[in-house]
Amino acid sequence: MNQTEQSFDELKRLLKLKQHEVPPPGYFNNFSDQVVSRIRAGEAGGKQTYVERLEVEAPWLVGFLRIFEARPGLIGGLATGLCLLLVVAVVLDERSEVASKSLLTVSQPVVAAPDNSVAALTQSTLVAAADPGSGIVAATNPVTSLQPVATLRPARCFSRSASRRSVINSINFRFCAVCA
Amino acid sequence: MNMSETAATPDASTPAGMLEVDLVRQARHGDLAAYDELVKRYQERIYATIYHMTANHEDANDLAQDSFIKAFQALKSFRGGSSFYTWLYRIAVNKTINFLKQRRNKHHFSLNDLDYNTEHNPDLVALISHKTPLREAGLTELQKKLNEALMKLSEPHRMVVVLHDVQGQSHEDIAEIMDCNIGTVRSRLFYARQQLQGYLSEYAKST
Repeated sequence: MNQTEQSFDELKRLLKLKQHEVPPPGYFNNFSDQVVSRIRAGEAGGKQTYVERLEVEAPWLVGFLRIFEARPGLIGGLATGLCLLLVVAVVLDERSEVASKSLLTVSQPVVAAPDNSVAALTQSTLVAAADPGSGIVAATNPVTSLQPVATLRPARCFSRSASRRSVINSINFRFCAVCA
Repeated sequence: MNMSETAATPDASTPAGMLEVDLVRQARHGDLAAYDELVKRYQERIYATIYHMTANHEDANDLAQDSFIKAFQALKSFRGGSSFYTWLYRIAVNKTINFLKQRRNKHHFSLNDLDYNTEHNPDLVALISHKTPLREAGLTELQKKLNEALMKLSEPHRMVVVLHDVQGQSHEDIAEIMDCNIGTVRSRLFYARQQLQGYLSEYAKST
């Protein structure tokens, strides 16, 4: 360690010369007065700006934000990342919707009545809907095949809530007394 | 009590004669006279540190004033875990480093004349007359090279060199000021000196 310290002796002597770089004599005579005047002016002016208050109260946050100020590319990258994340989230959501809709199409032999109320739904109609020769084309009807049943039936018809998942599971639901 | 006695022993009831702890306590309650005394005690050291980092007197002046103002505003959050001096230094150092990051690409020097004593500094005289091949190099040239070399260092490395080799602070104090451990201070100092040695090879030859 001493050897390394010695190897820098000349450099340290050179750096000591920096101590002589001082402002002209009398420079500091009014320095503290200027500081105090600015403090008084700030107090008289009343309010600090939001950034000034933030600098005092949360210097870590200001430091964090200044990273972006010093490197504009970083904020661009972060924004791009967030956008990508949003797009991925939207795509995943779409996929899950499509998957649930395809389930609906397969398991939905519901025939809508003209008055938009739910028609009779029995086990026999279910079988008929699955049979192409039965004359009931439930799966090709865009309303009944693509829309969840929940939108077609009055909420009062079933005792369970009308969420999509409950529709898929409610194929064997019995009618309530009001509809019957 | 005559005037000479007053001058010899500062009155403990005036800010000039008060202990730092008492000054800080009074300043926390908004006593600007007490804070004025604190500024007077540390203005030169804070200013010098900032100047050696920025190599510009105008910037150093602004940053030093800003640091003292910010310190006053933040005095209520000063818990006394470290000395006021270290805490104040930390504010100045952070402010300076932030400033330098913002103007990183704008290197400009304002080289001021060396003071009179420099020309008679034995180290410098010996350095110029015996040690270097550039005997005719003037003080200004040397100062310029020195500043240019320092400016090539990263801010944390430059800060460690300024605090230790120029201002004579201990490793422990620097670690506290820069909020890092002593090992980091030592390694930064070693690396920075190596870099400087390379940049100033004409002037600073290793023994």
